[in-house]
Amino acid sequence: MAMFSNSEYPVRDDLAEIQEAQITALGAPGTWGTGAQRLAIAAEARQAGYDAGVLEAPEDGGHAPEIKLPDVARKVVRRLATDPKDVDQASYKEALAGGLSDAEYVEIVGVVARIVDFDVFARGMGVALAPLPNPEPGEPSRERPPEAVQELAWVPTIPNPPEGGAIADELYEGGPKPYIVRGMSLVPDELRKHVALEHIQYLPMNKIGIADYKHHEGLTRSQAEIVAARVSALNECFF
Amino acid sequence: MDTSQDIGVPGGAELLAFSDALIGPDAAALDTARSALAAALGPHSVSGAASIAANFSKNDRIANGCGIPVDPMQLKASVDLREQLGLNDFRSAINTFRHYTE
Repeated sequence: MAMFSNSEYPVRDDLAEIQEAQITALGAPGTWGTGAQRLAIAAEARQAGYDAGVLEAPEDGGHAPEIKLPDVARKVVRRLATDPKDVDQASYKEALAGGLSDAEYVEIVGVVARIVDFDVFARGMGVALAPLPNPEPGEPSRERPPEAVQELAWVPTIPNPPEGGAIADELYEGGPKPYIVRGMSLVPDELRKHVALEHIQYLPMNKIGIADYKHHEGLTRSQAEIVAARVSALNECFF
Repeated sequence: MDTSQDIGVPGGAELLAFSDALIGPDAAALDTARSALAAALGPHSVSGAASIAANFSKNDRIANGCGIPVDPMQLKASVDLREQLGLNDFRSAINTFRHYTE
């Protein structure tokens, strides 16, 4: 049965399709984590949500991870999942001192951010959280982009074109982008997934400057921005 | 946050209530807010609002998790808004102000 086909409210096909595809892909090897490790991260983020009372556990949660995350990773996952306002540079440095590499940390941020995204959407629609998929075999690619350097974020990032080279042209769709796009660039595959969601869930990036552009049936741009601003304020996100 | 003010946008109160309930722990309040939103703005508004809430839940974690700064142009354009809403007091504001001043 297609995702959200049991929803009381209509869901656009592209929205349902990208959520289903990205949830399934959580079980595939990533850049630094195996499929099993990435699913363990997603499951820990969900558990933090259940513990905090901001998610309801589904009858069928799908794959139950068989591996235990290291304490340092578990701490990053849980704080980011339910208390993003409390993440600070000291906690980032603590994660690195605890043994995570900067790129492993960025991949964890990406996986947590996306599983929270999928779960907030399901909860908003009033449907059960999607079951986690089974892990796929294989090793992570471990490809670190040599173009990434220390700029103004805590984590290294790929600079805007032309300094960022060909990969910046591809990732940033030909033009300079703010840090909210570039923040994940140390792990390009996570960035691609983040941007793909952005285009469908919020609006296409080339439409951001069009004040009356309407991307969601039933909501004007002003109404959409009310939700965006409120959620970010609740999460105490300065950005 | 003051939720009593009329923000002057149709369905604004319902969108705020839905956003608050979606991020909060009260599932019954969320059910009520979802129904009220659909009644005010139509059934499609629910997936639109849930989609945007989901997207910004993602973005907030990326921004705070990676310690990214707001770019100078955006910072300059948001002086009054940040002051009115108390955004400068957020812990994540330091990720910008350690690089840029007002």
